Amino acid sequence: MSSEEPEAITDTAIANKDFYGKSASDFLILLIITVTMLVLDAVLSFAYYRSNQTTDLRWLLAFLDLTVILCFYSAFGGRVKHMLLSMKLAVTLLFVTLILSVIGTILPQGELVATSGWPRNPLYGLYSSIGLFDMYRSRWFLAILYLLGFNLGFCIIDRFPTTLRRALRPRIDVKDIFVRKCPTAATIEGEGERGLPVAKEIISGHRYHLRTSDSGAALAQKGRWSGLASICFHLSFLLIGVGAIITGTLGYKEKIDVPDGKSAPVPHTDLRVTNHEFTIETAPVMEGDRIVGYRPSVYSSDLELTQDDQSLERKTITVNDPLRYSSSNWLLTLIISNKVSLHQSSYYQSNTGYVTVLEERYQPGKSLIYIGFFMTMGGISFSIYCPHRRIWIKVGESGELLLGGRSNRSKVTFQKDFERIVAELRLTLGKQEAT
Amino acid sequence: MDLVKVEEILFIATVISYLVSGAIYIWFLITRSQQALKLGTMLLFLGLLAHTAALILRWVSSGHAPMANLYESLSLFGWGIVLFFLIAQRFYPVQAAGAIVVPTAFLITSIAFIFYTGPEPLVPALQSYWLWIHVTIAMLSYGLFALAFGAGFFYIVQEYLLKKNYRNVLYSFVLLLGTLGFVLGLWAGSWLTDPAKVMDPLTQEVSNQYAASDYLKIIGGSIVGLVIGLGLGFAAGKGASKAGFAKRLPSLDVLDEVSYRGIAFGFPLLTIGIITGAIWADQAWGTWWSWDPKETWSLITWLFYGGYLHTRLTMGWRGRHSAIIAVIGLIMVLITYLGVNLFLSGLHSYTPAG
Repeated sequence: MSSEEPEAITDTAIANKDFYGKSASDFLILLIITVTMLVLDAVLSFAYYRSNQTTDLRWLLAFLDLTVILCFYSAFGGRVKHMLLSMKLAVTLLFVTLILSVIGTILPQGELVATSGWPRNPLYGLYSSIGLFDMYRSRWFLAILYLLGFNLGFCIIDRFPTTLRRALRPRIDVKDIFVRKCPTAATIEGEGERGLPVAKEIISGHRYHLRTSDSGAALAQKGRWSGLASICFHLSFLLIGVGAIITGTLGYKEKIDVPDGKSAPVPHTDLRVTNHEFTIETAPVMEGDRIVGYRPSVYSSDLELTQDDQSLERKTITVNDPLRYSSSNWLLTLIISNKVSLHQSSYYQSNTGYVTVLEERYQPGKSLIYIGFFMTMGGISFSIYCPHRRIWIKVGESGELLLGGRSNRSKVTFQKDFERIVAELRLTLGKQEAT
Repeated sequence: MDLVKVEEILFIATVISYLVSGAIYIWFLITRSQQALKLGTMLLFLGLLAHTAALILRWVSSGHAPMANLYESLSLFGWGIVLFFLIAQRFYPVQAAGAIVVPTAFLITSIAFIFYTGPEPLVPALQSYWLWIHVTIAMLSYGLFALAFGAGFFYIVQEYLLKKNYRNVLYSFVLLLGTLGFVLGLWAGSWLTDPAKVMDPLTQEVSNQYAASDYLKIIGGSIVGLVIGLGLGFAAGKGASKAGFAKRLPSLDVLDEVSYRGIAFGFPLLTIGIITGAIWADQAWGTWWSWDPKETWSLITWLFYGGYLHTRLTMGWRGRHSAIIAVIGLIMVLITYLGVNLFLSGLHSYTPAG
């Protein structure tokens, strides 16, 4: 998303205006909102930590935390909208997330803390109380992710109209000065009327898509969806984020131990799962021609899902091939993602034989996340590999031929392309001396 | 005839031919002798043939694409670099870059040899068609980031050369090769150690217990590596500190553009690599993101290059700043690719699943 366009000046002007006015009544209203949010946040947090925490409300609480902070910031004169629209905030937040992630890989997280040396460290209490040992799930980390999300959302809303117009209804009739001020520009003196059709033909020959206005001026473009693809890429993170919040709040993950030949209830559902047979296949480990040992090559469990003693589905699962079950048809499953999956997690041996440990997973936000994934991959590839290149061609006021080019990525490559076109044009017009 | 033995011999031949060919390419950069170039290219091509044969033999004897452990993945990486370079050299005048690319390929294949392991069946967690998609895409992005790093480094050197600041040219080379030597020495040293396996009676977890001699090997290795690296860096820096060297390097604009394009083309691939990994993880474990060290470090790398693109495309950073970011970026890539596997535990650590 380029901000070098002269059209973008208006956006910055809007951004510089205050989001809220500064009158006393506005301040009072803001203060009331702030205090209400603060109380709500405190009450919910208290209720959450007093309860047995069956539903994961972290995401909701982190959201409230951030709103409280933003309300405070706004009440005391901060320009929230201005802040959220800034690219500097985005880069800073990317950097902050980066640093925090580094800390998260250095300090043991979650269950790994107990087996590390950290609990004996004098700083353990301090670190633990600010959540450094469960950082990725801590409220402040989630609040930072929310802020990044808001920042992203505001920037997308801000750029979307310009980007859309640039792709669908670009300005073809521009002023002379605009063409001259382009990063790559060329003027061919005195050849305006004769040169215009030649220039159009040559540029079309370089596989540019040409649009002409009534006045004869033209805009040649390549990759005009690049900007929208970039928006699509950025938007995808909001989708993935929403999907992750839905999964994190409403979804669950349960371990089910099923001994060989026995069955066990599937938690949160009225289903039962029967483990008909658990098998480990092994493959020899060779050292030269000698077999030195065996190593497991396949773990598989022959599972059957039943409801009221009625068989619903039977499948032999392996580590990379889980059993997925949905009670509704595929379309509904796709929309609300009510699929439960059973994964081969691990196994252990009891005195009666092998016990398969299955992992039951319910991810209600899965469809959103996958749509987001495809938007991320498609958006970034399209946006980078097909940059938006534009060349305006028009006859200037004193009869000269004006060419001006812009590209949103890899400007040097575009410049070469542009120079080649101009050289060819000069050659055709018999004006080679200028190159 | 034993396939594995043949493969090992072919791989050693590959490493040696890359070493000799790299030296010839450096000789070519200094003397501009066309005969040297022909000889170097010929040797490199023969090395690539041996390398290809070694990879095919490995594929046949293990029964899966050679991507399952550090040796195979590094070997494949080196193979890709040499292949790309030979193709590029066929069509573009990039012979001089061989003085950097071929020694790098030698370095990568020799590290691969340090981690040499015989063919093994795939552990159950890796048995999926996602393996080769995920690994190939990630490797391609790493290669492009390495290219961006090289161009960025020479951007910095070229800028100092043009300013006639030869002291900083020397420092750049000494810093680069010194760090590289230190890290390689550290690796070599820790490879020589023979720690006792100790099992924790409570958690049943097996950990390494190092003796004093092991620490000595690690420290000694890193010091030897550091000294060799500093020496090489000093020699290279002195050699480069001439006004004539600036003319042999591409112009600042070209270096800046190559560095940018490396990152711009690598970034979508890294994104796709991370997402295919997430989809695979979702299929295998039912969790698409679990903050495992490898995942987190790839995210860190991704955030870093994302920051680069934002500062460049929307904030107009260019030249020296961008070059420095491109250089630091490769450190992130190396931590993601190698550091995490060696020093942090997790799903990607390539240790046999218990």
